[in-house]
Amino acid sequence: MKLGKLIDDSRLLICVGSGGVGKTTTSAAIALRAAREGRRVLVLTIDPAKRLANSLGLQRFGNDVKRIDLKTLGGEADGELWAMMLDNRRTFDDLIFRLTPDEDARQRILGNRVYRTIADNVAGSQDYMATEKLFDVVNSGKYDLVVLDTPPVKNALDFLEAPGRLARFTDERIMKWFLTPYEEGRVFGKILVGTSAVVFRLLAYIFGKEFLQELNQFFILFRDLYDGFRERHEAVMELFHSKDTAFLVVCAPNEPSIEVATYFVDELRARRMPNPGVIVNQRHETLGKGLDPNEVLGDRADELAEDLQPHTAAQLMARLGAAHRRLRELSEREAAFVRELRRHMSAVQVQWTVPRLQGEVHDLEALDHVGDHLFGRVRG
Amino acid sequence: MRLAQLLRCRLIFVTGKGGTGKTSFAAALARLSANRGRRVVIAEVDSHRPALTSVLGRAPAYAPVSVGTNLDASNVTWKEALEEWLYHIIPAKRVVRLVLANRIVQLFLEATPGARETVILSRLVTLLDHYDQVIVDMPASGHALSLLSVPHIAVRLMRTGPVRERSEEVLEVFKDPRTALIVMGLPEEMVVNETIELWQDLRKQVPEVQIPLVALNRCAAPTLTVDEQTLIARLAQADHAEGDEVAELLRAGSWEADLERATAAATERLKAEIGTQVVSFPRLGALGGFDGGPERLVQQMAAALARYELAEQNS
Repeated sequence: MKLGKLIDDSRLLICVGSGGVGKTTTSAAIALRAAREGRRVLVLTIDPAKRLANSLGLQRFGNDVKRIDLKTLGGEADGELWAMMLDNRRTFDDLIFRLTPDEDARQRILGNRVYRTIADNVAGSQDYMATEKLFDVVNSGKYDLVVLDTPPVKNALDFLEAPGRLARFTDERIMKWFLTPYEEGRVFGKILVGTSAVVFRLLAYIFGKEFLQELNQFFILFRDLYDGFRERHEAVMELFHSKDTAFLVVCAPNEPSIEVATYFVDELRARRMPNPGVIVNQRHETLGKGLDPNEVLGDRADELAEDLQPHTAAQLMARLGAAHRRLRELSEREAAFVRELRRHMSAVQVQWTVPRLQGEVHDLEALDHVGDHLFGRVRG
Repeated sequence: MRLAQLLRCRLIFVTGKGGTGKTSFAAALARLSANRGRRVVIAEVDSHRPALTSVLGRAPAYAPVSVGTNLDASNVTWKEALEEWLYHIIPAKRVVRLVLANRIVQLFLEATPGARETVILSRLVTLLDHYDQVIVDMPASGHALSLLSVPHIAVRLMRTGPVRERSEEVLEVFKDPRTALIVMGLPEEMVVNETIELWQDLRKQVPEVQIPLVALNRCAAPTLTVDEQTLIARLAQADHAEGDEVAELLRAGSWEADLERATAAATERLKAEIGTQVVSFPRLGALGGFDGGPERLVQQMAAALARYELAEQNS
């Protein structure tokens, strides 16, 4: 499959991979290209460390979408490129706003300290909020394509499981078990008998009674939202499995990154997630043969070095020779890693390669250049 | 703080953006300390596939496994940490078994905000009782920040009980001058941006933990003379359209020149914007790749650390 066809056919592209492999850059480059081809595209980053802003040359953007001006690239850009960086608390508050029946219920939840803590700080809630927001934007009707840059999760597909984690917390069984003694006006440890009594007293001991009471409040407030949460979770999972969704594994050609990519390829297949293939970034490409600087450059170095220190040209020739030998070694090692990864992929999966580029990618022009490597030059 | 002092710390957290070499650096620190006769454990946090395996040659387990003289490795998985902690706070073994067998309680503990992080941090602090030094290969930026900010949240939310007490103890350990956090970065503009951002967030959310240095990995000390760089630039311009071979040769040269410039720029920016000590490590192998394998890389990094320390003593 061509990457161009993939962006034409998909409504949601999810880029996964380990950190430091250019995942954000790749996501932005794909989104930019799709926009230049006339689609309305949103690139959404949920990385808490806010990197997309850098690669799009923006200083900062909140939960609001920001339109990126494509005019500087010239050409007929009739598509739209939008970018959004996730604001955890805002997303959570928006969700509550939607799920609560009235202002009173809303204020009670927003004021609960357990809620505030979950919304602000807790590890994993970023991942959850990402999937929540994702659902929103994909179904907003404002975009033809959403490209998601996932956070570099250590435990592989934590991100995919995030909706489940919050759903579990608001799990019916926990809530029922937890709320029953309160609802029936019982007091800690007095009427409850058997295992439940022991466990309840224990939890009160571990977390402190006040916290449990607050948690209880939180559960009571959340109970009515539970169905809403569960439906969202199911809808998000459905979205992940949809035929309009594709996962792209992004990696760099070094051992740790290839290992993580291999794992992703295997896991996505095991979960039956649509996974068309892998993008190998930062590949050092060579012509595959030794180059002698003296032969290749001839006298040109000497000529161009006339006004410089004596011996500059000769020294540089030696250095270039050594640098090139290292480059070839590296390139060959990378080729071996890439072959290893290929072995894990099915026949229909594709490897796209982006060479290691000179200079850093932090403006639209450079992103567009990355796009050239992924898609070929822009049409028209 | 001098590197020699840092090496004497009892608890060292290593974090930074993904792909900066945290694991290798943490392993190098651990090897160096262990070689000097200290009893060291290197720990990874709740990992399904421990990254330490490739740099140490053996997979860490919850119960520390030996990976060399004086050096053990542990994967602090949260379920085991929870079990250990429950046995610690509840004297009756029978009750703990009952709790652990209860499916609802399992779900509850798994989903309660901060429970995971609390027991993991608790375990890391417990390791201090058994070792001279604990080195933690932390998760990447955002997740490390979340993990470290949990004790504050717990103290705020819970007025009584063992979670609160343990969180207070963890905060005491954070404050200890022998606890330090190292942020890893690379000499690339975007990575430097993120490193600065992480440093600022850490200062704000976990002000107790000192961050004596930023370690800049895969650097190139300036070796190309100004004239050589000028000549590369001239050749690149003159021969731009003259064939692939010339381009490839010059690209090999330019990468080296670029890296040298980027190293200088990154060091300067970090010093200017966060005013902290910056220690740079040379890239190893061809263009910073992994030749010789991850274990060899760790040895080379440890050697670089030792050299750096020596230079510091002599200055």
